[in-house]
Parts: sequence; C-alpha cells; structure tokens
Amino acid sequence: MTDLLELALLRGSLDHCVKCTICETQCPVSNVTPLFPGPKYAGPQSERYRVTDEPSVDLSVDYCSGCGICSQVCPQGVKIAEINAQARDKLKRQKGVPLRDRIITRPTWLGRAGTPVAPLANFSLKLKPARILIEKTIGIHRDAAMPAFAGRRFSSWAHKRSDALQSARKIVYFHGCGTEYYEPWEGEKLVAILEHNGFEVVVPKQDCCGLPLQSSGLFDDARKVLSTLARALDPYLTDDDTIIVGNATSCTLMLKREGREVLGLEDDPVLKRVSERVYDICELLLELHDRGELKTDFKPVEELVAYHAPCQQQGHWVGKPALDLLALIPGLQVREMNARCCGTAGTYGLKVEKYDIAQAVGRDLFDQVAASGASTVVCDSETCRWQIADATQRPSVHPIEYLYRAYGLDS
Amino acid sequence: MRSQLHFDAVVIGGGMAGLTAGTRLAQSGAKVAVLAKGHGSTHLSPGTIDVLGYTPGRVTSPEDSLARLISERPDHPYALVGADAVSESLQWFADCAANGPLPSYGYVGGLERNLLLPTAMGVLRPSAMVPSTMAGGNASGLGTVAIVSVPALREFHPTLCAANLTAAGIESRGITLHIEVERADMNPVGMARRFEDPKWRGHFCAQLLPQLRTEEHIGMPAMLGMRDPAAVVGDLERRLGRKVFEIATLPPSVPGMRRYEILRSALRAAGGRLALGADVISHERSNGRVTSVATHAAGRDLTYLADWFVLASGGFASGAIELDSHWVTHERVLGLPLRGVPETGSPRFEREYLSDQPLAAAGVAVDGELRAGGTDNVFVAGASLPGATPWREGSGEGIALASGYRAAAVIAGGLRTEESVTS
Amino acid sequence: MTTLSTEVLVIGGGATGVGVAWDATLRGFDVVLVDRADLAEGTSGRFHGLLHSGGRYAVKDPRAAEECIAENRILRRVAADCIEDTGGLFVTTPFDDPAYADTFVTGCKATGVDCEEISVSAALASEPRLHPGISRAFRVPDANIEVWKTLWAMSHGAQQRGTRILTYHEVTGVHRSSDRVAGARVRSARTGEEIDIEAQVTVNATGAWAGQIADMAGIEGVRVLPGRGIMIAMNHRLVNTVINRCQMPTDGDILVPIRTVSVIGTTDQHTDDPDDHTVPEDEVDRMFDEGEKLVPGFRQARALRVWSGVRPLFEDAKASDTDTRDVTRAHALLDHQQRDGVSGFVTITGGKLTTYRMMAEETVDAVCRHLGVTRACSTASESLPGSEDGANYRLGERLQRKEASLQDEQVICECELVTRSSLEEAIRRTGSTKLDDMRRQLRLGMGPCQGGFCNYRATGLLHGIDELSAQDANQALLDFLQERWKGTWPILYGDQLRQVRFDDWVFQGVLDVAHAPGAGAGAAGADGAAGAAGAAGAAGAAGAAGAAGAETVASGRAS
Repeated sequence: MTDLLELALLRGSLDHCVKCTICETQCPVSNVTPLFPGPKYAGPQSERYRVTDEPSVDLSVDYCSGCGICSQVCPQGVKIAEINAQARDKLKRQKGVPLRDRIITRPTWLGRAGTPVAPLANFSLKLKPARILIEKTIGIHRDAAMPAFAGRRFSSWAHKRSDALQSARKIVYFHGCGTEYYEPWEGEKLVAILEHNGFEVVVPKQDCCGLPLQSSGLFDDARKVLSTLARALDPYLTDDDTIIVGNATSCTLMLKREGREVLGLEDDPVLKRVSERVYDICELLLELHDRGELKTDFKPVEELVAYHAPCQQQGHWVGKPALDLLALIPGLQVREMNARCCGTAGTYGLKVEKYDIAQAVGRDLFDQVAASGASTVVCDSETCRWQIADATQRPSVHPIEYLYRAYGLDS
Repeated sequence: MRSQLHFDAVVIGGGMAGLTAGTRLAQSGAKVAVLAKGHGSTHLSPGTIDVLGYTPGRVTSPEDSLARLISERPDHPYALVGADAVSESLQWFADCAANGPLPSYGYVGGLERNLLLPTAMGVLRPSAMVPSTMAGGNASGLGTVAIVSVPALREFHPTLCAANLTAAGIESRGITLHIEVERADMNPVGMARRFEDPKWRGHFCAQLLPQLRTEEHIGMPAMLGMRDPAAVVGDLERRLGRKVFEIATLPPSVPGMRRYEILRSALRAAGGRLALGADVISHERSNGRVTSVATHAAGRDLTYLADWFVLASGGFASGAIELDSHWVTHERVLGLPLRGVPETGSPRFEREYLSDQPLAAAGVAVDGELRAGGTDNVFVAGASLPGATPWREGSGEGIALASGYRAAAVIAGGLRTEESVTS
Repeated sequence: MTTLSTEVLVIGGGATGVGVAWDATLRGFDVVLVDRADLAEGTSGRFHGLLHSGGRYAVKDPRAAEECIAENRILRRVAADCIEDTGGLFVTTPFDDPAYADTFVTGCKATGVDCEEISVSAALASEPRLHPGISRAFRVPDANIEVWKTLWAMSHGAQQRGTRILTYHEVTGVHRSSDRVAGARVRSARTGEEIDIEAQVTVNATGAWAGQIADMAGIEGVRVLPGRGIMIAMNHRLVNTVINRCQMPTDGDILVPIRTVSVIGTTDQHTDDPDDHTVPEDEVDRMFDEGEKLVPGFRQARALRVWSGVRPLFEDAKASDTDTRDVTRAHALLDHQQRDGVSGFVTITGGKLTTYRMMAEETVDAVCRHLGVTRACSTASESLPGSEDGANYRLGERLQRKEASLQDEQVICECELVTRSSLEEAIRRTGSTKLDDMRRQLRLGMGPCQGGFCNYRATGLLHGIDELSAQDANQALLDFLQERWKGTWPILYGDQLRQVRFDDWVFQGVLDVAHAPGAGAGAAGADGAAGAAGAAGAAGAAGAAGAAGAETVASGRAS
C-alpha cells in the first residue's frame, strides 16, 4: 500500500462520524477558547472540504494541540486527531514553518547545545529580560515552563557504569530526550527498578523520536528522525521476547503508533517491528505483576499524592497502569485527578500565541490538585510535569519515583 | 511476549449497560475491567431513566405496563431479565446518584407512575425516573411556564417549545434572552460551565427578571452546571423567585454526562477498572467459552483474559452489530449469532420513517439468563439485545440498567460457585 | 382570475427552461417562466453533476461529443462560479477491454475533445484510491457543475431584468385554438389561485414531461421515452477528479466528485412514468459493484444517499423499449409550426445538461422566427451573475467563508456549513414553509447526518420567521424527516445505519416527534413489525408492493 493510499484511508475514517459531539465535549482546547472550532469541526467535518491540490483555508486548525483526546473518546473510531495532524501539516507547509518551530522541535540540538553550559543556560533562562528577548525573537512565551538542563547526559552514565547487572533477560531502554538532557536521574531510577527485577538494561545510542517535529507540521523531518530511531533500536531485538521500554509516554506513543499513522509509515517493516515491542514502563511493570513476575517487596510510603494521566498516556489505550502499580505500595494514598489535559501538549504550551490557551486548559487540573491536599503530583510525561509543577508550585514526579522509594533503592 | 492482563470479568462497552454491569460486578467483589471504545450512550441520551413510555399508547404506570409486556412479549429484554431486575436496578441507580459525586443531586420517580416531561420541542414525554433538576418539569405539577434560552444554543427554540406545550394544555411562553457569549455557537456543555459561575448567573438573572411576568415555572435547556447542578438550580430559583427546571437537549447531553460521572465514580469506588479507547478486535475461544478478548492498543494488541464476559457494545448505533453493503448482518465483536434479522429478500426498512422498522429489533440471540447463543460465559446487555425498539417505546435506559444489573448478578452467582468449588 | 401577458411563456424550470428564459431575457423579450414545483425539481436536480468533456461519447455518439466539448468550454467561461475544474480521467481498469483505449483516443481527436495520456503512476499519485490495476489513463476536461447554483444565477439575473419566475405553479391547461397556442393556465400549489397567461410564443421545456404538455396543447406524437437511472452519493470525496471507465458507456461507469460527495452512476431503465423514482435493490447492488471496480474498498465507504432521475429521451424508431441507452442523447427541437401547423408553440426536449445553453439558443432562435424578429444570442459571452470574474468554484469556499466569521456567525447545518443568516435570508426571500426548499437553496441537510441536527434547528427558525403554528412547524420537521428518509433507506448499511440510529434517538427519543401535536398517522404506528415483512417480498426493499412508481410530488423528493 502506498503511503498516499494509507493517508487517504485515514481520512476515510471520517465516514464513521455520526456528529454525536462527544469529541467536542472532551476537547480541552475548544472548551476554553473560541479560536479553535473543535475536533468534530476541524476533523471529520472540514476534511470533506479539503482537496489535496488546493490550498488550506482553515487556519484555525493550527490551534489543535494534538492531545489526541478526541480520538480516544470517539465511540465510532474516527481518527480525528490524526486527520487534524494532517491538516496542520499541510497548513504549515503552506505558511512556512517559523524559526521557533524549527528550534523547539529538535530537543537533541537544544540538549547538546545546552548540556555543556548548563549552569549558564539555566541561569539565563530564568532571567526575565532573556525570556522577553526570546519571546520577541522566536516566540516562546516568557512565562512558559522551561526545564533546566541537567548538565550531564543520561547516556553517559549508562555507557560508563561498571556495575550494570548482567542477565539473560535483556531489555532495551528508549530513554527519550527528556531523560537524556533534563532528568537523567529518572533514567537511573528506571534502570535500578528493572535491575531489581532481574533485567539487564541495554541502552543503545539513540536520538529523538520526532514527535515535536510532527506536532509542528515538519513531517519530512519527522519521518527521517523516527526512521533513524527505529533503526537504532532494531538491532537490539535479538529474539522474539526482547522488548523496548520507555518512561516518556509521549515518545513511546510516537514510536508505538502515532508516527506510523500520522506520518504514513505503516509500511516500514523496521518501524513496525520496533513499534510492536515498545512498552511504557508502568504498562510493563503491571503486566509483569499480572504474571506474578514483579517483585512486590514494597516498604510503606506514607503520603498523599495526586495522579494525572497525560493525554498521550491515555493514547496508549491501556488504561492507567500507574494507578494499579501505585496501589501496590502500602500507605500511599493516590487521588486520581479528573482532567484530560494539563495544557502543555508537548511544545504547544510554549508558544507565545498558545500559552494562555494552555494555561486555561490546565486550570481545571491545577484547581483539582490544589483542592486535593496532595503534596506531590504524579504524572507519566515530563513535559506535563514541568507545566504542572510550575502552575501548582508542587513537585511533580514520574510514578517510578514511588516504586523506587518503596523498593528501598534510594538508600 | 504477549501483552496480557487477567481479570475475573471483562465488560465490553462503556455506556449505560456496560458501566452498570461493571460496577455491579466490582461491588460483588470481582476484579473487573470495562473496555470502552469511546464514550457511549451516557453522553447522548437525555439523562432520564426511561423504563416504558409507549406500548404504543402512552404508559401511565410502568409497573403495570411492564407486567403486561412481560406476559405478552416473551422475547423482550424485560421478559428475560424479569420485573425484579428492573425495580432493583432502578433503586440501585438512584442510590448511586444519591451517594455520588454531585452534591444533592439525585433521581426522583419510580415504577409506579411515569413523569411527563417536556422535550426540547415541547412534546410531553414519559419517563420513570429523572434527575432532580428536571423533575420540576413534570406536567402535572406545572402552572404557567416561561421557556427561556439564549440564541447561541442552536437547537433550543423557546417559542416552538412553548407553543407545543400550550397545545398540550400547559400555558407557556417562550423567551429568548439576547445575552452576549463569546461565540455564536455554544453547546450545552459550554453553557453548563458558564452557569457554574455565580457572576454569570447574576448577570443572566438580571437580564431575565424584567422579562418575566406571572409565570410560576421556568424551563431551561439542560445546561445548569456539570459538577454541582443542584446548587446552580437552587441559586437561580432564589434569584428568580420561581421554580426552575431543566429540559433535555439534543446531544451533547449535560444530564447524560452527569450520569456518566455518577456511574464512573461508582465503578472506581468499587475497585473496577475503566480503559478508554479500548476497541476489542479479536477473541479466543475454548469449547463453549470465550477465554480472552484482545483490544487494539497502541503498537500491539492487549489481551484481557477473563472467566466471564459481558457484551454491552451498543448494537447498531456503535457499529457493534453491522449491516454490510451485501445486506448481511454481523455481530462484529465476538461473531455471535443474531436474532430478529429479517430474512434475505424481506424488507429491512419501511418507507414510512415513523413506522416500525423491521431491522430495528435485531440483536444478539440470548437465553433466559442473557447468555449469548453458542457460549457459556458471555452475557449480553443493553442495545445489543434483540426484541425491542427502545427509542420508540421509551425503554432505553431501563433495558440498559436492568440487563446490565441482571447479567452481573448471574455472573456473580457463577463466581461464587467457582469460589466455593475451588476453596 | 388574474391574467398575465407576455411575449414568451416558458413551461418548465429545469436547466433547459431556465436557460431559455435567460437567453430570451437577454435578447430583450418579456418572459414568464412557470414550473409546477421548485426550479430543478425534475431531471436537472437529479443528475450527478458532470459537465461532460465529451469523452464519454467520443466513440459512440460523435455529434454529442462535439456538442459537449464546445459547450464545456463556453460554460467554463460564462458559468465559471458554478463549475469546479476537477478535470477528468478515463481509465482502463482490469474489467475493461484494453483495445478500447486506442479507439477512444482516435474518437477524441476526431471530435475535438482534449485528451492527454498520463502514466499510471501519475494517475495513482493524484488519485491514490483508484484501482491499482489500471493499465492506462487519459486526462480530459471533465468538470462538475452545480445545477442549482446555475439555475438560481440565471433566474435571479432574469428577474432583475423584469422576467417573472413563477415556481409552484402547475399548468392546468394550454390555450389552443385551431392553429395556434396562445398561452396557458396555471394554478398555484400554495394558494390554489389560478392565473391565465397570454403569450405570443409558448415554449414547452418540460423535458421528460414534454409529451404531457404537448398532449394538453393537442399536439400528437411527441413521444418521450423516460429513461430512469439511479445515482448514489458517497459521503466524502473518494476522488477529486471525475473518473470514467474507458469503455463503451454502460451502467455505473462514472464517479463524479461534486461538492463534498462523490457520486456513482448510473443505470438506465425504461419507465412509462416521468415521475418514477423507484430505486430497485438490484440496481443499488450493481452500483456498489461498479464502484468497487473503480475504487477498491468502495463497499466499506459510506453510502449517503440514493436518488432516481428520469432522462428525457426523444424517441427514435430504432430503439428497443427496454434499453434506452441507445436512444440518442441528442436533443430535439420541435417547431410545431413546421411540424403540425400550429403557431406559437415550440417543444425542446432530450439532450443533456452540459448542452442546455445550446438547446436554449436554438429554442430562442425558433421563438424569434415565430415572432418574426432577428435578435442575436449572447449567452455564449454574457456571464451569469456571480461568475463575472471568471473564477471557478473551489470546494474549500464554504469553509473559507466560515473561517472568516468563525466566532460570530452561527452555523445551522454544520455538515454543509449553512449559516443562520443565509438560512433566514432564504426563508424570508422565498416565503417557503418547506425545509426541502431550503435544502435546494443552501444544501441544508445534505451532509452525513442528513438533517440529524439541522432539521430541528431550521424548524425553529421557520416557525419564527414564517409565524407558523406549532402544528405546522412540527409537520415541517416531520416532512423533512420523511423526505430525507426516502433517499436513505434503499442504500442503508454500515456507517449510515449508525447515523440513522443516532438520528432515531434524537428525533424519536430526545424530541419525541412521533407524539408531537399534529404528528398524524405516523404517531402510534402498528405495533407488529412483522406486518410489513409480508408485503414487498421478491421485489426487494425498494420495489415494494403494488404502489410502486407513482410517488407524487407532495410526498417529497429524494435529493
């Protein structure tokens, strides 16, 4: 099947739409701003008016954040978010992609540039004048939560360590740019947890998954980057049981399906093989538990925390495994937040013209967190954590943080 | 390595029937997962619990008509589940609502006597149990009525609604309040959020009061708050000095979404799991039992192994039962045999839109315990059941509740038997 | 009784009739046009929207091909805004005789139809859903034409110049004295009022009904063989180019993208009744099969609506009665002065929509002869109102307009982006109380939900503006429901059935229209579903019991 046919069939899913409005009720963006007409309108409805060879006329589709909630809640199986992504891509190619979108979509560049000069970079990014300048020149909102460079790379630690567990059970770790440049300790904890459960963690040389590029409509670049990643991981799938695990739910989703669907890469056999082996860490640990293979030597952790499932974690379509895992830890009280999206939607919330919308989207979640009495917000995606921590003034951590502590690995 | 999880029971479908079955199973101690392809009927239907409205004449007492129906139509879902399941499930739901996440929001009514509520068009429609915020619209309690809405809500026409109500003997007048909102098209959910803001309510009432005359009741589209509608309605009543009631709108249904929150929170409180975006695409069988279903998860399929299954998949409306272009009907989730499908060559549809449509009452063939034909451990609930045309007879929620409730009860009995055998 | 006097009375508000009125108006005549229903309710409103390049006739009917290409070029200029330049492809599928392709090329050359061969990979790149097994592909200048827009443009333009257009006025008698026709009598369908129209020349432009009007005028032997065919609109554009099978014309060999849908057509069955709108199930099945040949996966796509149109085929002695396809598609102008010795009467029938302008020109030339004057035709150069800038229509126009007023303008029919203001304006302007009229004006209810939401929204507006009683408003809603259902149930499967289920819940559940005051017979309904099953039997879902065929105007039309 040609990728053109694939994409034609993807848009053909609009046939399933019965205009029920369920997607509209759940869209976090259209519910807070009239600038975005909503998923039903921008997706299956407008798609009937789009002709490949004619220019895009509906600029409002640019306000779609790509959170994917519409596709998740659609009872008929319309690929709404994916149709919107296509339309955004076409619009971008027509309008031209601004410099900002070329920069923030390449975390690898940013990471490599910022890591060696982390203290200076981090300091500068906290300076108001610097942020104002950045806003005016490349359009990143001055108040948008930007993470601090760690000053070291996770992969350096992974490749230099001498105390790695050797085991017949190997597992491939796809750490993503967030862990690599901003939160290498998350990677270290994940490795510790897997080793505690008897896995040898293999860390191939790897780069970005391409999701930021795709979200900003740079489809050709996204395809190259994703394809490169797949080929970096594939050689490590030495047998039928070897799997790939990740802790960045947006990036693992990109590798699992978003890239294939939105970029029209269903026919890439390497990507297909890789995507079928990808697990989110909580998803994996829960399945191990279901088989009786997860160590449950958890010490009590007496805390009250809030849990928010990122929109793109929901996009994995496996429910909320983090909740079930956290329930295994004695003493830990978890309040599940009843909100769909924190607002940042990856890089969306950084953009000067989208920042206020993103804040409005997240308002409900932030209010719920405040009302919950929780000290910490647990969330699977790093970009969400940065947004939530900034808005709620509470720490925000990955679920494995608590597993790590409960296993006693922090001592 | 195959992705899989184990449960005692798996419910396929997250609408009214599925959430009911899932919650009841969880409450009886089963480890249960509800697999929802998306949001279902809960978000679309008016939010009332309709047990029996027309047979085809208007039903005054569901209790009485139910008894008659059960004896006259042994194939009807109510005949299969029995009158007790209907009354128990209604009571159970009312308890869920009363103990649910929405403060002071409950359901009133019961099986003795249908309430008669105005539809958005002003037609009086029978319902057995309705949200407290809508109960004020019961025809027998209405004096003079003002029907009030805003132009931004496209599918609510106060003057037409009032005209039809007046034709039905309830003196009514329509008022369109020209009040600014930030966009030309609002849906009830957006309006519901507005009404949760006390400043907006103040502004709204200030505009409305001068236009009211001696009306004793005010009927408004069902948009009076999502999280705390009782407080919103109470506030409006205080400010306006009149009774205020909600009228069901075209989708999206705000009372329907509240009902979803009630059931979802009951499911969660009982320890049940809900997976959204879980589309069942294949299954495995062994002898007469379905042993697992697989959902299309990202990247690969996720298999759910369970001893018991409830198919609450929504019938034709969700595509779970499909008529293809060769005019062949299929049950698409588990490939189960169907009943009530017109024979090849017989018409599937009638020319007159409002007549009984032959295909409408088709569904999955079940035995007296809702067990699907050809299986030992799959039960069917809700719109996938044959023998009824719920939108014509006004029985949608009643069938969903009662069959979800009953299916869970049979399974729970089965689980207890298993336990006592193994222990 | 009112009497109107005019120079030219045109009976028939289809493309030909309106084209005649427009041409005659431009030539300075005083014109009155009458139609028993709305404009384009006959054949014109029921075709697939194809503006022929002529390729289809290049081999079989060269004269028709020449006429088509000539008119195609003219209409692209003068009716630019009514035409979308989709282009067309003739493709040799695995189901076609490969030898025909060369014959086709020769035929195009001989008739002047532009034809350019392109590579199969280029064809598949531009139309990825096409059958991957096509072996040859040829580009031709097919396009689509929106017939209502064209007719409204001409009729409004004519009205601005003083022409009177009387829709919903049925001819009840033609004034015939021994050797001349002096006009006709009409009756208003809305008020029952009768009007006498005196005309110096009467043009019978009633297409498939031409024989009936000629009979009224006492003219013998005007025989039109109605050729009924069905067309099915698929919910979205499976292709953006007109796709033709490269073979001798046969059933279901064209797929036309028009507005937001793609239309597969058509079949060809003789019928005796020009009002025959039956949709036989075997024809439906055949259209799906043919669609599958052009676009694999056609049957998994969503069939939105089916309708039947009746071609006016003028009888040729060679034709057999059952297969009307061989009867000439060429038009026939009957000057009754020459043919029957009756002055003041002209019949124009046959033909195809692509050549309406030419047919009109010849007709008005005949009118000139009857009136003893010479006036030149200018329709080949005068643009239709709205098409002055020569820019063709683009599909994204409605979306673009809506984008400009995203937050300020309320949309009533979301599927087809019909705004509240345009609907209110149309209701006021036409004074109509029927939602089906709004459908023809604005495309209300023509999208996937087939009025699921907009029906009630529009009813509310109708109720207010027309100051209807509640019962009349309820009836308007029910009428539109029934009208939409008519074109749905014969092709109802898959996704559209899901939609119908959803709509059932909205209308019968949430709104409870069946019990609305004045709902009439539909309300209680027989309780036994089984009763209906016995009736239709072998004739299939559409053929249904004896009462087949004669569906009257009042029961509403399929789109």
